[in-house]
Parts: sequence; C-alpha cells; structure tokens
Amino acid sequence: MARKVAVVGGGLFRPDIWHGENAEEGVAIAYKDLLKSVPNLTPDDIDALMMSYFSDHLNGQLCMGWIIQDYLGLHGKPGYRIESGGSTPIDALVNAFYLIKSGYYDVILIPGWEWMCEVDVATTNEMIASASDTDWDFPVGGYYNAYYAALEVRHMQLYGETCEDLGRIAVKNHNNATHNPYSQWVSLHGTGKITMDDYWKSRMVCWPYRVLNNAVMSEGAACLLMASEKAAHKFTDTPMWITGVGLGTDSMRPGDRTADFVYENFKEEAKIYPDFVEPIKTPYPDMANFASLNIAAKRAYKQAGITNPVKELDVAEIFAPYDGVELVLYEDLGFCSRGEGKTLIREGVVEFDGELPVMLSGGLTSQGHPVGATSLYQILFLYYELAGKMKEKYGPDALQVPDARKALITGHGGTGCQGAVMIFEAE
Amino acid sequence: MVIKREKTEKKYMHYPTVEDKSTEAHKEWEPWVHKGLWAIKGYQVVRGPSGGGTVEEALKRKPKDFMVIDRASAALYSHSYGLVSPFFRGLLDGKLKGTKCPKCGTVYCPPRAHCWNPKCAVAETEWLDLPLKGVIHTFTIQCLAASPFANMLPFSMGYVKVEGADTTLPMFLHIDPKEIFIGQKVEIKFAPKEKRKGELMDLYAVAVPSQKVPEWSCLHKNPRDMEMLQESMKKTLEWVKKRYGIDNSPEVRGW
Repeated sequence: MARKVAVVGGGLFRPDIWHGENAEEGVAIAYKDLLKSVPNLTPDDIDALMMSYFSDHLNGQLCMGWIIQDYLGLHGKPGYRIESGGSTPIDALVNAFYLIKSGYYDVILIPGWEWMCEVDVATTNEMIASASDTDWDFPVGGYYNAYYAALEVRHMQLYGETCEDLGRIAVKNHNNATHNPYSQWVSLHGTGKITMDDYWKSRMVCWPYRVLNNAVMSEGAACLLMASEKAAHKFTDTPMWITGVGLGTDSMRPGDRTADFVYENFKEEAKIYPDFVEPIKTPYPDMANFASLNIAAKRAYKQAGITNPVKELDVAEIFAPYDGVELVLYEDLGFCSRGEGKTLIREGVVEFDGELPVMLSGGLTSQGHPVGATSLYQILFLYYELAGKMKEKYGPDALQVPDARKALITGHGGTGCQGAVMIFEAE
Repeated sequence: MVIKREKTEKKYMHYPTVEDKSTEAHKEWEPWVHKGLWAIKGYQVVRGPSGGGTVEEALKRKPKDFMVIDRASAALYSHSYGLVSPFFRGLLDGKLKGTKCPKCGTVYCPPRAHCWNPKCAVAETEWLDLPLKGVIHTFTIQCLAASPFANMLPFSMGYVKVEGADTTLPMFLHIDPKEIFIGQKVEIKFAPKEKRKGELMDLYAVAVPSQKVPEWSCLHKNPRDMEMLQESMKKTLEWVKKRYGIDNSPEVRGW
C-alpha cells in the first residue's frame, strides 16, 4: 500500500527587511516555535533534514546548511540541501515527500531561510538576476522586474487585463496581509487598509508593475515538519495530507517560448489565441503563460482526483513575485480558461469571501519573500487554515476560511523555469 | 598604494589568444582582487528588535545591540561564450547571426549550437546571417534597472523577433515609449564600431517610421495608463538628472 505523507506542524521567524539575528539564529527561533507548537517532538524523532535556501552569493557563505544543522544540534543526521531558485522551498517539500513516501524516512524537518539584505538592494537584485541566463538576458537591463514585466505586457496584450486589474490584486493581497501579524507589510506599514488610490500613487518600477506589485526583499526563516502516516499522529491531531504533487519545467530564457516544442501538443491552450497578433511557431505558452505550472497542476490534480479546482479547493496560495503572475496562474492552474484570469479578480472569486480565496497570507508582495522560506510560510499558513486553527496562531483578526478541507500551493523559480503544485487535504 | 601587476596568468597557455581586448579589464579589476574576499573593512552597531513571534511582540521587547560588519566579495569572471561565440564576434562586425536546425528548420536567434526540438535529437545547427529587421514581440518600460544601466533610465527593453527567426532576442528599444507597441516593425542598429564589446548592448532597435499605433495596443487603449506612465517617466528623468547629471529626455537624446 502506498504510504501517505503529511505536514504535521511548523514554526516561523517572521520575515522583515532586516533582522539583527543572523540566519542560524533565525532558523533556531523558527525551530523553537515548532517545538513549542508540537510538544511531542523530540530531536530523536527527526530522521533527516531537507534544507531550503537559494543563494550562496547573498551572504558570501557556501554550505550554510552545515551551519544550520549543527546550530540546531541536529548534525549526525542525514542532511540535504535543495536549491532551485524561487522553487527552492516547495522543491524541498516535494523531495521530502518522495523520501518519506519511499519508506526511507518517517520524519523530516525542513528548515528554510534567506538573509537577503546584507548587500544593498541593487546588488541583491543583480545577484538574484544571475539566476536568469547571464549570457542572454542579464546583460540587457537585467532585473527580474523587467523580464516579468515584459511577460505581463505580452499577456495583457493577448488577453486584455489592464493596469487596474494588477492594482486590484495588489490591494487584495496587501489588505489580506494586515490580518497576518507575522507579515512584513504589518512591520513596514501597520494594519491600515490600502485603496486603489494608494496603488496609483506607488512608484512605477517597470511598466506595468508598480512598487506595490513587486515582491519585497526579506530576511526570515521557517521550519516545517513532515511525517509518514505511521508517525503523523504522534505530533498532531490535525495532519495536513499531501494528496497531489506535480512538477514541471520550462525554458531558461522566456524569449525562447515562442518556439517551445515541448508544449506543442497543448492544443486546448493553443487554440485560445487572438488573431490580431502575428502567429508564432508554438502559441502556448508564448511569453505570456507558465507551461511549467500548467503541466505541474495537471499532474497534481490527477493524483488528487481534482476535476474542478475552483469548486473543489477551499483556499490557495500562489507564488507571485509580481502580481500579473497571480492572474496568469489562475489560468495555468485551471481556475479558468486561458485569457480569463482577469475575470476572477474582477468578480471577486479570489477574495476572502469569494469561491476560492487566493493569497490570504498576503503572499510574496506583502507577507514577505525570503526565498528559501517563502513557500514554507505559505504552507504553514495553509496548515492552520485546514486545521481550523488560524486564530490560535495568527490572532483573533486572522482570515480563517470556514470548514476548509482542500488547499493548493504552487511555487516556481526563474520566469517559471521550474515549479511545483501540491494539493493538501485535512484529515 | 599602487600595486604593480604581475605577469598575466597563462590559463590558456597551450592555445593561442587570437584577439585580446581583455587586458584593460584585468588592469581595472586588479585593485579589487587585492581587496580580497575576507578582510573586514569596518563595522557599525545597530540597536534593533529581537526574537520570534509577531511584529507587535518583537517591538515590545527591549532592543538589543547588533554588531554589523562590512566585508567585500567581488570577482572578475573569464567566461567562454562557447560554440555560439560567432554570434558575439559577428556583433563586432555589425552582423546579426542566427542558427538553423537542418532537421526541423527552426531558426534560433539567440542562436543555439544544438537544436532543442526533442524530435531532432540535439542536432547540430548551421549558421546563417539574419536581416537587421524584426518585430517587437513584447516589451517593458523601465523606471528602475540594474546599476550599470541606471544612468540610461527611463528606457524600454524589448524582446525582438528578428525576421526569419522563431525565437526572440532581448535588446534596448530606442523608441519613445508613447509610440511603442507589440507588433511594431523595427530596424536593428549597432553602436559605433569603436564602442562595441561583442555583447548584446552593442545592439538596439529603432522603429520603422510612420507606423500607426493600433487601436488594440495595450499601452494605448486606456488613456489613464499612458498618462500615469508619462508621470512616472517624468519623475525618473528628474531622478537621473539629480543623481547622474544626465538629461535623458527624448528632446535631448533623440528617443
């Protein structure tokens, strides 16, 4: 019989623009938070560590994972480092899932962190952009803001969303974050709500993206605990079962996706293509959609037996370093057909009181984005949603979806070069 | 202190260097090599919040003093462009090259030395010269850019589908953002010969004259979006003027 795998708890050290504590101390604080919320956990229970961190450049430290495992007193156990850009934390979870499912381990701890503010913002941006093709993309103005903006402009042209739609997403996510007392937005701004006016006033970065559309730079850490069916109930009465896992990849350079033969047979998506632009070799994904996550979602839904995600899922967290990505992913995750992403935000489907609330944590633009910890924060958020314990962890003002049973998380790196989709279910 | 340069490291000693435009760069970099990666340059003490929990909980605690040190990390990489080196050498001569798969016929620009169509089993491609013409596939207008480009702000970066190619090449668009649209026909130009470095910044695109902005252009169909963009560009121009003393307004630089 196939073994079931669950997320059984977690702890966090909130993301912020700067912390006096360094990475190992931050991870220790997150680990302590985990130990507090899972009183039955002892170090002896942990079979292995899966360490999630993106950059060696940002702190000038190679093999930081070794510092972390001994700082927690967990050296001696098998330890693995996962690195795949923005995909790093969800990839760590996927890999831990495979190892537990295979029967090799029963309990894996995933510490994730990133300390992004040791170098100035311009240099951080450059170091991150060195995850793009440094021969072909980086030398031309080279920032992820620009690549993602160019992708959004293409999608906007093909399918008609407007700057206002991108503003609606920014307002939704920032206001969601005001209910999350661990969010960077609360630290930077407080709990006051913002409006479309604030959005229009925020500084332009790369048209059509303004500051409020962009992920923040963060320092922060989180620890997740994963366990097999055999071990799960020792730690919690509310395990969050992983019922679907899908991975996908796409070209390194977004500019190559006009002749993306790997996705040639995506006929349904290819059909939905306006006639006022010149035809290209492969109309899907073009420089508009994210095929890696489309294929990942199809794989995950098949395993989890999901046929109508909007109806069957109760809550979703998306990896959107720029708000257009959220809109485009509504399409690639099958929440709607290609080109209809704008309708979901306009009709409020993805708001807290909508049919499928998306990004209640605030996401990358407002909860925070210390890369190696980002998806772990989002998964921990979903854990408490499905456990029905949001108010216990995030306070009386937290956004608890009533009777949430099924959740989706997606993460990706680069410009959708690699990504994963996971489906979680409450017990 | 002036450090005298030692004899050049002979990394390629078994192979002839047929052209050398590297010595200057190494000279410029030499002092940075001597600064090293590990020596501590300075420190400051910052009094800040500490500990876990929520923002509110952290701010309630007595602040702690954190010692923050400065250390440098920098390196000059000597990186090979590999089998697509002819593309970059072509730029020096004002030529735009692509590659073509002999099996499926796909034309690559950026070039690939091997075809990526799974049906072609990484077939070796063949070089061809491409016309200096293309179409804007997509673009952005940047009011923020990496430090080496910041003094050129605001500018537009676009992915251009070169005529005859199936993939798209990023380049600067020397076009007034008021007139840029997806599908716009462009001419590809080269920087003056003496300024070329054999890199993508040697290239830029200008609009083929007298094209009408189509009604469906996403930048133009909502007048408010254009108005807000103009306002942001004005602010960016002021910032560049203040910071670099450069006037990048279209009247002055011509695009």
